[in-house]
Amino acid sequence: MSTGHLVPTQATFKSRWKVAGLVVPGLLLCSAVSAGPLRHEQHFKVAAHPVITIHNPEGLITVKAWTKAEVMVISSPSSAEVTVDAEQMGNRVDVSTRALSDSVAPADMKTDFQINVPEDAELQIHNDAGSVTVANVLGDMNVETVAAGVDLEDTSGYLTVKTVGGSFQCLRCAGRIEVSSISGSFKLIDLKSTHVWAQTSTGNILFNGQFLPNGTYSLKNYSGVIEVRFSPADSFDMSATSLKGKVNNEAKLTPSTHEHHFMPRWGNALFGTFNQGRAKVELTSFDGTINILKRD
Amino acid sequence: MISNECKQFLTWLESWSPDEQPSNSPQHAQNCAPCGAVLSDLKAIHGEAASWSANEPEPPPHIWTSLRAQLQEEGLIRTAESDRIAPQVVSSPGWFGSLFGQFPRPVLAGAYLSLLIAAGFALSGPLNRPSNEARWLEGTQIATSPLSAQLNSLEQNSVPTGRALNPAVTASLQQNLAIVDNYISLCEKSVQEEPQNEVARDYLYEAYQQKADLLAQISERGENVQ
Repeated sequence: MSTGHLVPTQATFKSRWKVAGLVVPGLLLCSAVSAGPLRHEQHFKVAAHPVITIHNPEGLITVKAWTKAEVMVISSPSSAEVTVDAEQMGNRVDVSTRALSDSVAPADMKTDFQINVPEDAELQIHNDAGSVTVANVLGDMNVETVAAGVDLEDTSGYLTVKTVGGSFQCLRCAGRIEVSSISGSFKLIDLKSTHVWAQTSTGNILFNGQFLPNGTYSLKNYSGVIEVRFSPADSFDMSATSLKGKVNNEAKLTPSTHEHHFMPRWGNALFGTFNQGRAKVELTSFDGTINILKRD
Repeated sequence: MISNECKQFLTWLESWSPDEQPSNSPQHAQNCAPCGAVLSDLKAIHGEAASWSANEPEPPPHIWTSLRAQLQEEGLIRTAESDRIAPQVVSSPGWFGSLFGQFPRPVLAGAYLSLLIAAGFALSGPLNRPSNEARWLEGTQIATSPLSAQLNSLEQNSVPTGRALNPAVTASLQQNLAIVDNYISLCEKSVQEEPQNEVARDYLYEAYQQKADLLAQISERGENVQ
């Protein structure tokens, strides 16, 4: 069940009157209404673990968790020739942007969203350009973009993120994280995740988080820098290989006693255990630099 | 690609004797699963070979007579020697022992074990296969040539549509396609230079995968990136 209402942006007509004088006030009013962005707000009552899907060609998508058992979608298309379809099917809410005619210019397809969801919501977001920001959502999440950057904060669940050129930043994320890109860079800050798989071709990867016991952390790129920050209390088995680049290490590693490592014949590599070796860390680059540094 | 400990173990294994006390086995064989499996297999093979020897059936006497006649007829043995062969053969414990009786058992066992070790490591995976750059290169080319051709065909068949394209998205797709193409050519160069380099091969396959994904996205949007 949804409720919605259109809220045209109110221009400051007063100032306009001063500028334009008293000539054709009706025309001015009409242009002010049609040129301004349209704000459309809709509400959907949902049960536990709702699924929200969002398909948008371009725009800023901001998703935040709240305590209500409902989904609120506020959309702001940049053109009146674009509409937002938001429909509820059971416990799923589908949101998509649609052109009202074939003559709509690409720039006019841009639509911004502000969406509030229950904490346990599952998200599926597709946004080609612009940005995607998600905060405090604990359900599983799949985000796909081309050029749009993705910022996650205090999220959990199974997170899969795929971009072509968009960057990815994850702040205080937990759960399982899988992220891939071609040229996007990744920043994984203060993570509390037991499984991280990150792969980019030319982007940089920064990991500054906890290596949890029994966790697996696999970071791979083609070029660029892979930087891992560790603290003295961390415990991990490290495998770092750069085929044509350098491996710089500040960790005092001891020969691994946990498993059999085959010494590499190719490139620069190091293997070893830090403390008890409870987590498994694999860093791989083709011709990039790998830095294993102490956390400040 | 094997560790130094594995190499040391193999050196030790060359002088291994089936009568070796279990306590003399290196610690490495207990900690390393592949090496432990090799040692275990060898012991099992030795046990099996011993049982073969014990249960060897005696071939009928006319076999040796026919064999001697045939060898004499072909001039491969002299009569005087052949006179000595028959009693030796008959008195031997079995045909297996007669054929290889001239070699001391430990030599045979060692040769057999060395052969098995070589075979075991050769079959254990591409990391340990013998050096043969041409074969590796050929194998990689066989695997990647159809891929490359299909991807090039797909790329050329990206037909422009009447639909207006988002400039930011198109630019990103173009830029990243160029990155992946460059990435593929660099990986191909690395594989050409070091055909046995499994890391370079993995990167090459991944680059093809990325290009396929990218072209699928382009195709999905009906965009032409030529």
